[in-house]
Amino acid sequence: MLFPTLDFLLFFLVVAGALALLDRNFAAKKAMLVAASYFFYAQWDWRFCFLLAASTAISFTAGVLIGGNRDPRVRRLILTIGVTLHLLILGIFKYLDFLILSANQLAHLLGLQHELPFIEILLPVGISFFTFHGISYITDVYRGDVAVCRAPLDMALYMSFFPQLVAGPIVRAAYFLPQLARPSSEPIPVAAALLLILGGMVKKVIIANYLATGLVDPVFAAPETYGGPDLLLATYGYAVQIYCDFSAYTDIAIALAALCGFRFPRNFNQPYRAQRLREFWQRWHISLSTWLRDYLYKPLGGNRNGRFNTYRNLMITMLLGGIWHGAAWKFVMWGALHGGGLAFERMAEPVIGRRPTSLQGKVVSWLIVFHFVCLAWIFFRAEDFTVAGVFIAGLGSGWSEPIQQAQPAMVALIVIGIAGQFLPPGSYERAGLLLQRVPYWGLGVAAGLALAAINALGPEGIAPFIYFRF
Amino acid sequence: MALTRSERAPLVTDAIPPHLRRRGITQRQLFMACAIAAAMPALLASHDTPAWTEHLGDSRFVHRLRDTIAAWDEEMERSGLSRPHEMLREAMARLLNLQWSDENR
Repeated sequence: MLFPTLDFLLFFLVVAGALALLDRNFAAKKAMLVAASYFFYAQWDWRFCFLLAASTAISFTAGVLIGGNRDPRVRRLILTIGVTLHLLILGIFKYLDFLILSANQLAHLLGLQHELPFIEILLPVGISFFTFHGISYITDVYRGDVAVCRAPLDMALYMSFFPQLVAGPIVRAAYFLPQLARPSSEPIPVAAALLLILGGMVKKVIIANYLATGLVDPVFAAPETYGGPDLLLATYGYAVQIYCDFSAYTDIAIALAALCGFRFPRNFNQPYRAQRLREFWQRWHISLSTWLRDYLYKPLGGNRNGRFNTYRNLMITMLLGGIWHGAAWKFVMWGALHGGGLAFERMAEPVIGRRPTSLQGKVVSWLIVFHFVCLAWIFFRAEDFTVAGVFIAGLGSGWSEPIQQAQPAMVALIVIGIAGQFLPPGSYERAGLLLQRVPYWGLGVAAGLALAAINALGPEGIAPFIYFRF
Repeated sequence: MALTRSERAPLVTDAIPPHLRRRGITQRQLFMACAIAAAMPALLASHDTPAWTEHLGDSRFVHRLRDTIAAWDEEMERSGLSRPHEMLREAMARLLNLQWSDENR
């Protein structure tokens, strides 16, 4: 069940009706949201609900056991077991066939004839996200960053809450669980939520979908048949597509959580306006980058043990961040490029400074960072290394050939997508304050009109969000 | 006992800033707003609803639902309410068909 569909609109209408009925009974409201979240998840494959429940049970039990023990060795052992179980589930469902494929390729290189059979397990939607939720909760309890959750219902809602269940943002236990302790006394911020939903719908239904079908998919499917201009514009197109697709999902998730009475953290902040690669990661998928920083980079030593170890830690963190996205070497390459880029930037900091100061410096830095990020996206999007190699080689040739795919509408969508990155900070807040003056029925009419218009302007049928497969 | 965030826990920025949270609506008003929002596409984008029923199966209830939706769509077309939706769709199709040069046509 995808957010921009009639199915989801009807589902949310039922949820909104139930929330209104259960407005004064917080425990019943939480129970209803758990039931709704499992129903939502079952729409992909009902069997995965058992996996989600198992992941929840592991987190809950590990948390209670860690909280009930004072012996540091026992606490550490429970933490290790809990995290290992989570990683084991993720490893089996997401990485086992990749490991078998890599082992078979290595055996082939060594001249061995025997091949291991593939397991061919269906990848459960959102497994990477709820696994990270579980790991962060257990680790935070161990570190004393969050109190032990002794209410199974709260833990179930934290792990399964439908807005963020399949593609984030990754919400920390220390941030979300306190919200489940007592009902919020705040009104529903409907104007702010409506802006996020409609903005997300435009980004996903119109910009990301048209760029995917009209430009990115055909060019990445056969890059050898296109000249340099098509390849370059398809690269920019993918940069805009993945941003619009993923940020749309998290914007709508944030809005839905707000409509249910909960807060979610910010996940994107105009990432393509970054002038340093480090700044890009402070603006892109913020909940993942801070998760990797707090649960991987810092435990590895962060920047505390000298320059070499800092570069090594950056590299390990980004390599694992790459493999988190998918079981393929192309994602490792994507992570390696970002890790290497971040390490190089640190190395060069005494010369280039932490931030550019002059206008020329800002423009040049922006161009370098944006194109570096685009280069890494080629590996991320291409089917494999061979296609990525053909694509990159093709960028330097065929500049006199006529443009085939990157026609005016596609270029306009790219320009709109990139221009949106440079909207002045505070534009969203100002629009939200203006909308707050409109009565609720007026907002309902405006939302309905906008939804009908977006439906008319978008293509027929909606492709799944890119991050669903991660 | 209320759970609290410890001092060592990471500070995270709320996606919706505090001044946009000060004014809002109740859960009942939210339900009403959602119902109004859901009704608007039924009035203006009724052409898309018959296709939506295709994945619902083949029960007697679904057949009856299909007939009702088809009748509703005809009524919306007769009243002219679905025309703006079609005009927007045609305009978008024209935009998408624009080419840099006639050679590509």
